[in-house]
Amino acid sequence: MFPETARCVTAALSPFSKTAVLKELRRLSAHGGVCRLQPRRHFAVSRRLTAKVPPPRKPRERVPIPGLEMINYGERMHYVPGLAKPVNPDWEKDFKDPRYYKSPPLDKMPLSKEKPCYVFNQRSSLLEGVPQALCLTKTKLIPGLPPQLLSAVENPANQIPDQDERVQNAIKHARFWDTTEERPDKTKYSNTLLNNLMHLCATLQSSHPAIGRRMLAEKYSLAATWKRGEDLFQIRGQNGLLHSCMDPLPVVSGREEVAETADHVMQSLYPVSPTIDLQKIYVYKEEMNNTGFRDDYPYPHVHTLYILDGADTNFSLRREQFRAKILMFAFGNALARAHKLYGTQPQRVLDCPITVQAVGTNGRMFQFLVFQLNTTDFSGDDGIKNQAWLDEDAELYDFAKVRPLIKKKQVKVPAGLAGYKPEIFNKFLAMYLHGAV
Amino acid sequence: MALSCLTRALRSLTVSQNTLLSSQCELGALVSTTVAQCRGFLTTASLEQNKTLWKQREKYTIKPIGMKKTGGRDHTGRIRTHGIGGGHKQRYRWIDFQRLHYEEGKEGKPFEEKVVEVRYDPCRSADIALVAGGSRKRWIIATENMQAGDTIKTSAVIGRMAVLANEGDAHPLGALPVGTLVNNLEIQPGKGSEYIRAAGTSGVLLRKVNGTAIVQLPSKQQVQVHETCMVTVGRVSNIDHNKEVIGKAGRNRWFGVRPSSGLWQRKGGWAGRKIKPLPAMKNYVNLPSITAQ
Repeated sequence: MFPETARCVTAALSPFSKTAVLKELRRLSAHGGVCRLQPRRHFAVSRRLTAKVPPPRKPRERVPIPGLEMINYGERMHYVPGLAKPVNPDWEKDFKDPRYYKSPPLDKMPLSKEKPCYVFNQRSSLLEGVPQALCLTKTKLIPGLPPQLLSAVENPANQIPDQDERVQNAIKHARFWDTTEERPDKTKYSNTLLNNLMHLCATLQSSHPAIGRRMLAEKYSLAATWKRGEDLFQIRGQNGLLHSCMDPLPVVSGREEVAETADHVMQSLYPVSPTIDLQKIYVYKEEMNNTGFRDDYPYPHVHTLYILDGADTNFSLRREQFRAKILMFAFGNALARAHKLYGTQPQRVLDCPITVQAVGTNGRMFQFLVFQLNTTDFSGDDGIKNQAWLDEDAELYDFAKVRPLIKKKQVKVPAGLAGYKPEIFNKFLAMYLHGAV
Repeated sequence: MALSCLTRALRSLTVSQNTLLSSQCELGALVSTTVAQCRGFLTTASLEQNKTLWKQREKYTIKPIGMKKTGGRDHTGRIRTHGIGGGHKQRYRWIDFQRLHYEEGKEGKPFEEKVVEVRYDPCRSADIALVAGGSRKRWIIATENMQAGDTIKTSAVIGRMAVLANEGDAHPLGALPVGTLVNNLEIQPGKGSEYIRAAGTSGVLLRKVNGTAIVQLPSKQQVQVHETCMVTVGRVSNIDHNKEVIGKAGRNRWFGVRPSSGLWQRKGGWAGRKIKPLPAMKNYVNLPSITAQ
């Protein structure tokens, strides 16, 4: 066996020689018993495969000189050693075949522009959070919800009968009962909780008929373009659940307050530029404004936008970045509506400011936002600004534990719902009833 | 070409019977023509090495990159450096050592950056800082008192008067006053810092001599470099790193340090305290110095 292999190795290290093969065949046939019909396969002959692969040598750069072309064998129609290989012109199909379509490079695409556009999409996480969003949208922030919104709920006629108990049941359903496993996961319970709370608020339709003039829509794509200073910005993407209404929301702040915002000084983000963390693209459509619905949609006015935090499991935003996202999308919806009503030219002051509400939640923490679009003129930092009322980090309940937290044999947090705060649901209800009271 | 290799190989493997029989009779040209030369071919998937593919990324990113541990082995597979292996998994954060890295479109102007976060880096002894300036973010080596929210300045301007150096700022050597503690030293202008990057280290700017500057490295070696080389002011972060007590063998193993051989070996000439004069000053500038004669 071994002398045979050795002979095979020596025979095959040099190219196969007649004599070696002949000897082997003679030996095989003379052996008698074992007669192989095939010559031996040389698996042992190969270079070491795990050795370092030398880096691929870049072929010599061939510079085409216009006057001096290499003589190639193209005309002779057959290979001639010593002559260069003919380079054939690239052939492209004269029709577009979708199976073999290669998109052109970015700078040759028909929509490519020289000036870049910064896009905010549903996955953008702004570094500076809310201050950066305020800078981009030229907005003045007012902490806390507007008082006239909250005063509506204090009237017992606007409250749900057995409100506390029903809300607690809704939370328990979302957090404990809605699964066959031990506990539902975050995406599921946040979605269920939001649906339950909205259903509870909708039970007031019998006493508030205006609630019936609303519609919910999910997975609609928004697009809005605006120019802030020297840069072009776009907001694109699917944001969340939209509650739209046949009638517009009432304006929150009057003309005097709107005029007062002109004195407000915008916070500077120096040394960070407001375009950080936005996607920079050179291929875009200018004047891209789309509310997500057709013109004859019966519920054109945006009432509330409900955004869930844990919807995308690939990533989740921190609280500050989540608040910025809510603000940007509320602004985007308002701006798309404003462009449709008043045209795309920048307007210094809108006759009728557009109000949009937004609620963001991660299943426990709620962020409430009321945004009023007063102007579409974003060229400078002076002039009338938009307004945003933000109520941040409102916890509906402290803990909803399936198993109690026990430290050193003492129950720190009991199982079940703990720390329920009814005033947060009052705010939720106030935002729902805004415009329907 | 691949197809011809394959056909050649297959042809060599499947030699038909009548050819063999005829070869017994006529051991002539028949055999040589039918049995082609072949060295065998692989039946496995591609065996390209992907050992260093994780470091072939060209575009800068702040996202941590997964690393492949080598265990002290080189490309042949044998141990080249003993005592390396195991340890906690680490992800590489791409540090931008070229402090004077201008943003696109803003070349030439001194710029400021804001420190977003200072954190531990498993790949080095110093801490790293995420800084954001303009529309980009990058990782740099943090200095001693750097905290989140600070503003650091980078400028390439060499004025007539020396700049009042704040810790964390980066200036060329020619702009700093003599005697400042510096770190992240560039030897060749624009190459990126290669010296004084370890935790708690700092060099001292000794003197400035017509177009060059002389810096004392932490090993007391002196180097002469061009005055436009960028350098950061202050000591590198994590200054108590040399006072850290490992505590147990297991902790060393977490760091990826394997035990050395326990065999007692007679120490040679390399061991023991050496008292010798400092090596001569290393000159990295191709200028004739005044002292050269």
